[in-house]
Amino acid sequence: MKRAILFLSLGLFILTASAQAADVTKYGQGVSLDKATPVAELLAHPGEYMGKTVRVDGLITAGCKKRGCWIQISDDKGNGVRVKVEDGVIVFPPTSIGHNASAEGVFSGIPRAAVEKKHKEQEGEKHEACDAKPSGEMIYFIQGTGALIES
Amino acid sequence: MKIRRTIIVLHRDIGYFFAALTVVYAISGIAVNHVDDWNPNYIVTHQSRELGSLEGVVPEKLGEEILARMGIDERPKAAVPMSEKEFRIFLKDRTLSVSLPGGHLVDEQIRRRPFFFHLNVLHLNHAKGLWTWYADIYALGLLILALTGIFIIPGKKGLGGRGRILLILGFVVPAVFLLLTLL
Repeated sequence: MKRAILFLSLGLFILTASAQAADVTKYGQGVSLDKATPVAELLAHPGEYMGKTVRVDGLITAGCKKRGCWIQISDDKGNGVRVKVEDGVIVFPPTSIGHNASAEGVFSGIPRAAVEKKHKEQEGEKHEACDAKPSGEMIYFIQGTGALIES
Repeated sequence: MKIRRTIIVLHRDIGYFFAALTVVYAISGIAVNHVDDWNPNYIVTHQSRELGSLEGVVPEKLGEEILARMGIDERPKAAVPMSEKEFRIFLKDRTLSVSLPGGHLVDEQIRRRPFFFHLNVLHLNHAKGLWTWYADIYALGLLILALTGIFIIPGKKGLGGRGRILLILGFVVPAVFLLLTLL
């Protein structure tokens, strides 16, 4: 019995130790591209990057506080792009806001009208405020596959 | 009879062993089911405050000036202009968003929701790694509990009568729900 308790304690210790965060935490597949595309460049020439896998580096200036399903990565000029991940597959903790990060995924865009229509249809439900500052007729974002976040 | 005895022993011991985790998963399950109505993981609060005009403060000194007016001596994680009209300071579990040049400040603070945060970490497998394996073992344990539970009681209260009806109902309810949802 004592031996069983010893092994159980050791197992719990390993479980706890494995949950400790490192200096850089990897989410999803992390990042594979060596070179980051500046956020300002993505927003200035979205057509060139549409459908392509891109990496962005910058500061996490906002994030989903309920599901952890998106973060916004901004450059030092305030240009921000949202990195949206699949709910539950990757969960960004809200404590990551204010930390530097690299994120990767497919650059995408959806018509603003479609988003507004969806929100209108869901009127009455609670929505988190969108911190992104999309301009024009399209809302651009990155369908994120992974990220590295500094702690 | 020997098989039934084994079934009872399995059901009893696995039931005891996983009772605590089942309670954890059940409470967390209810909590995250209603994520549209509340935040099961964090308590987020917003407070507004007027700092006074920041006109004339050089951009490099904005962060310092805002923190000084707030009486905060914590070193920020970052302090950046979000636009010409907004400056943001990121502190530990706290974000200060300041309108420029007016000085209207929104202080967002975030903290873990006691009790639920930790249950959700386990239930939603945020820990990953070894916990994934343990959760798999737990799932296997539940499967054994369900299957052994069916055969514990013989006769009219078991599969021969009441048990059979309840078992069928248990299949019918989700099946009907699925049909209604998909059709």
